[in-house]
Parts: sequence; structure tokens; C-alpha cells
Amino acid sequence: MTVGPVARDAATAEFFDAAAAGRFLLRRCPAGHFSEPSAAQCTTCASTALRWEAARGGATLVSWAVAWGRPASDPEAQRTVLVIAELDEGPWWWSQLADADPASLAVGQRLRIEFRRAGSEYEAVPVFALA
Amino acid sequence: MIAGLGMTDLGKVYGRTPAEFAADAVRRAAADAGLRLSDLDGLLTSSGVTGGVSVDLQRDLGMTDLRLLSHMQSYGSTAGAMVQVASLAVMSGTASAVACVFADSPLQPERGAGAAYGTRRAPAGWWGLLGASGIVGPNPMYALAARRHMARYGTTTEQFGHIAVAQRSWAALNPAAQLREPVTLADHQSSRWIADPFRLLDCCLVSNGGIAVIVTTAERAATLAQPAVHVLGWAQAHPGHYLRRDPDFGLVTGAATAGPAALDMAGITLSDVDVVELYDCYTFTVLVTLEDYGFCPKGEGGPFAASGVLGPGGKLLLNTGGGQLSGYYMWGMTPLSEAVIQARGQGAERQAAAHDVVLVSGNGGVLDHHATLVLGSQAGAS
Repeated sequence: MTVGPVARDAATAEFFDAAAAGRFLLRRCPAGHFSEPSAAQCTTCASTALRWEAARGGATLVSWAVAWGRPASDPEAQRTVLVIAELDEGPWWWSQLADADPASLAVGQRLRIEFRRAGSEYEAVPVFALA
Repeated sequence: MIAGLGMTDLGKVYGRTPAEFAADAVRRAAADAGLRLSDLDGLLTSSGVTGGVSVDLQRDLGMTDLRLLSHMQSYGSTAGAMVQVASLAVMSGTASAVACVFADSPLQPERGAGAAYGTRRAPAGWWGLLGASGIVGPNPMYALAARRHMARYGTTTEQFGHIAVAQRSWAALNPAAQLREPVTLADHQSSRWIADPFRLLDCCLVSNGGIAVIVTTAERAATLAQPAVHVLGWAQAHPGHYLRRDPDFGLVTGAATAGPAALDMAGITLSDVDVVELYDCYTFTVLVTLEDYGFCPKGEGGPFAASGVLGPGGKLLLNTGGGQLSGYYMWGMTPLSEAVIQARGQGAERQAAAHDVVLVSGNGGVLDHHATLVLGSQAGAS
């Protein structure tokens, strides 16, 4: 269970600044709809007057999969539990689930957002953990 | 009408660019139809994961004075979309004979098939973040879709296995198929995990090569070399929720709207369909498309696949060339090419006895883009 390296670009700079401080930013329009952080316009009303707003950090499990690496002497070591989570604000996010046994998972389980880094020179990556 | 079909050598065919495969496929399709390249006045190109095919193909083929030329891309639904656009072009008189081609060469001699589709994303920005999170390539994305179906409806990996086993049995009858050695359900269940719930035998091949078809008018087709294949109906559906909140994710795809619309256009119902050629990037894609087209009720694709209806001799003649799982992976050209072969009655050992109506699906993105074609060996509904 490990995240990979990722660098910022102009579109993601504010998101990664907040991630470094332990906050997951969403986009919110004047009407109050939340969109995913990469949205350029509101996914509900198409407004382009979006501002950043931090998610509260709670989510529920929508689906999960277990990615396996290429055959190795210990393939168990290369397992990564991947999830789609529905943030409490509404948008979905695709990432890893840290420290979980995939055999015990069920749709609707409560999750919380955490952050991991591949190394100090890379950006913080949001992941999920069982709440 | 589809009057020509050209297929290059497919699979581990090295040393040729996508543009070279595409040119070869168009030459073969024209020859198959009994046409010269100079008889073609339309060209629609499409490319796969490695790109490399463009409208420059016109120059490579020495085609002059075209009346229709464009590059199209809606991922796995492109082949169906190209036939739709070409059919509209010949119906309207925009062009009289249109070549539609796809080619790709993701396989390299020293590299595994997984690497061909897994290492495209630069590690920066939003796409970099998705990859850094562990979501790399289509395998985990489709696995997340399939898990949602399993969690909602009780679908099982064994049920996926029935699709893999049936399609391998068909591939054994297809000389062009890459994997022809029979497999059992036990083989499926013991094949290694790729992205749980998908095992190796749930995942399509990766292939090099190119496939083209020639679309022309009924009058023209009647004078050409091959039995004409009528394009009786078509539809597309692009729900538009890629990587976004989507209550239907993994449960219902665009096939649920495009399938009935295409059948309506053809003036037929599902019971008129003789042969079914479905896009099968994963076993699960087949299962959910069967539900969405209405071959079984929503949620019952698993029990339906396991009920013995599939495979040679089964009640449902599905992916009769082995599909993308065992035949060859040419995106939407895989189901389309086998549909043309079946509608013509040229399937030899694997030929369906009744082949008046063939239903074809294309699927792209992560169940995000859908194209349905209804092909027929006769002009009207039979």
C-alpha cells in the first residue's frame, strides 16, 4: 500500500497546497453545489464562478477493487486496495484505501480522507481510511 | 451497406507502424469489395492507444479528390460511429464509397501487454494524481465498475468465467484468433488476479494490426464482389459521467438506450436477432451489455451467462470469433469485423446457421461511450 509520485501544475497548485496542510479541496458554485476539484464548471448548474472549499473529510464506500502487481516472489506485498468513495459533500473520488482487508469491505462503509506522500519531494496524495 | 472488409495480420505482429497497418487494411478492404483505391471518395480514420493514424493516410494511400475525410475518436465506440457517419454520407450523396479504418500497434517485442496500456500518464496534474493514487489504466477502473455490479446484484467471478470459457471455445474455431487453446472454468478461477474481481482470463488481449470496412450505397454494393451487408439500424449513447458521481456506474451503460434505439430504427425486436457481437474488453462488459440490451433482466446477467446459453451450440450466438478476450483486440473493429463475416455467411466452422440479423456493440472509456449497429444480410427486417 503506497502512493506514487506526483508533481503539481498550474491547475493543481492550490489543491496540493491544501493537501499539504491536510485539507481536501472541492469546487463550489454560488448556488452552493459542490463539484470535484478538477471541475472547470459546476457539474450541476454549469456556473464557472467556482471557488475552493475544503471537504469535511467524511465519505462512504461506493466500490472497491484490489490491484495486483506483476507476478513476484511475494505478490501479496504488491496488493493495493482501490476505492471509489462518495464524499459527504456529494462528489466521488477515486483513490486507495489504506490498511484495510478487502474481504471485510461493504458498500456504504464510512471512510475518512487521509494524505500520503511517495517522498518529501512529491505532493501529498489523498487516500481513504476506514472511519 | 458494408461492401468490403480488410484485416491485416493481427496480434504479435511487429515492425510496422499504425499508419502502415491502416494503409494495409484499407487496401485489403477495397480489394475484398472488388474496388480500386481510386473508386473510394471517402476516408474516415481512427487510432488506438498509440495514435499514429490520421487524415495523412489519404496521402499514404495516394487517394485523390476525396469528398469526405475526417479522423474520428470516441474510443471503443468509434468503429460503430464511423459506420454511422459513413452510412449517412452515402445516403445523402456526400460520398459514394467510404473506407473506415482503425489501426494500433501497442505491443512491442520486449514489453508485456500490460505495459502497453498502463504507462501513459505523466506524473503531474490531475491525471498524475489519479495515477499516484493507484488508478492506473483501465483494469482498476473496470474492476471498480464490476465490483459495484457484484455488490448490488450478487454477480460472481464464476459467472464472469462462463463468458471467458465460451468465447475461448468460439476462438478455437477462428483461424484469426490469437488464443485458441480451450480453457475451463477451473482455468479461469486459477488464473492470476489482475485487478480483483478480474483475473487474467477476464481481460482482453492486446493486439497489433488494422481493420477497415468499405461503406457504400445499395446500388453500388449490388455490383461488387462480396455479399452486401445492410446497415439496418444504429445509435450512440454517451452518458457523460467519466470519473464523476454516477449512480449508474457499473450498473447501467449507454447500451440501455442505444440498443433499443438501434433496433427501433431497424424495425425489429431483440427476438429477431440471430447473432450478437459485443465489445468485450472484460467479461463484465459483455455481462452488463447483455442486460442493457435486454437479453435478460437487469441484475440477472450473471445467472444468464452461467445458464449454458453461451458458446458454440448454445442458444445465444455471442462473440462467435472469440471476441477481444480470445480473438484479437482491435477496439470496436473486433465485434464489427466478426459481424460482417457472420452476416455474409463466411464464418466457415463457426458460421451461424441463421445470420439475417447481427447486433453489434461498441464501448469506450469506462462504460462511457456506446455505439450499437444492427447489420443484416437482407435489406429489410426478416
